[in-house]
Amino acid sequence: MIVFDLFLQEGCVAHTLRPTLAASLEAASLAVLGADAGPVEIRWTVIRKGFGFRGGRPSTTSLVRGRIPDGCDPKIRANLLRTIGEAWCRVTGAGEEEVVVSARDWSWSG
Amino acid sequence: MPFYRCLIPKCSLSYGQRERIAVAFTDVHCGISTAPRRFVQVAFLETTATREVADTHGSGMLRYDTPYFIAGGNRAGRSPETKSRILDGLIERFCQIAKVPRDQVSGTITEAPASWTMEAGKILPEPGAEPAEWYD
Repeated sequence: MIVFDLFLQEGCVAHTLRPTLAASLEAASLAVLGADAGPVEIRWTVIRKGFGFRGGRPSTTSLVRGRIPDGCDPKIRANLLRTIGEAWCRVTGAGEEEVVVSARDWSWSG
Repeated sequence: MPFYRCLIPKCSLSYGQRERIAVAFTDVHCGISTAPRRFVQVAFLETTATREVADTHGSGMLRYDTPYFIAGGNRAGRSPETKSRILDGLIERFCQIAKVPRDQVSGTITEAPASWTMEAGKILPEPGAEPAEWYD
């Protein structure tokens, strides 16, 4: 199973883009990791305007925090991060500076 | 990569306080670690009665029993002492700016390997292995 927790700054990603974004993240994940890695669940958190900061200044950066099946090869994980980042920028129109993408092992306890 | 979520009661902090806390967290994090300031993300989330939040760098839920909670997520690889200094610094500055007693604030920092995150199109370096261009 794959889960993505998405943290969006209010006003930076239109609500109408969510279905396309979700489909793109799912397609990117399964293309890189294989269909057996699914299903893909996506959870959204909107950070209200005036409630998100980067470097102490108002932020326009989105965070994509994923959990993927254990044991991913480093090159495949790097490809996954890159593919998701590219999909994010393509769908939202954001620059690569405006998205942070992560994929941790499912059993990683932190 | 540093991602600090402040779980706060509804309407408890003004914009000015949130901004000052975000700057203070950036100061604390960058004063102890080697991260560039632009990498420090701080978000304030107003809470409901449920005192738990999903971990962004580990698994499961983080539970707390104070009105204010700092859920931090960092690159793995720092010593427990460094991790503790960062968290203590964050809580101290939060209490000063929010004007809340120390026993009203708790927090935790979980970590994940740097190579599991891409920022600005690049895989993050491990703590202590940052190339010079990372600071440009």
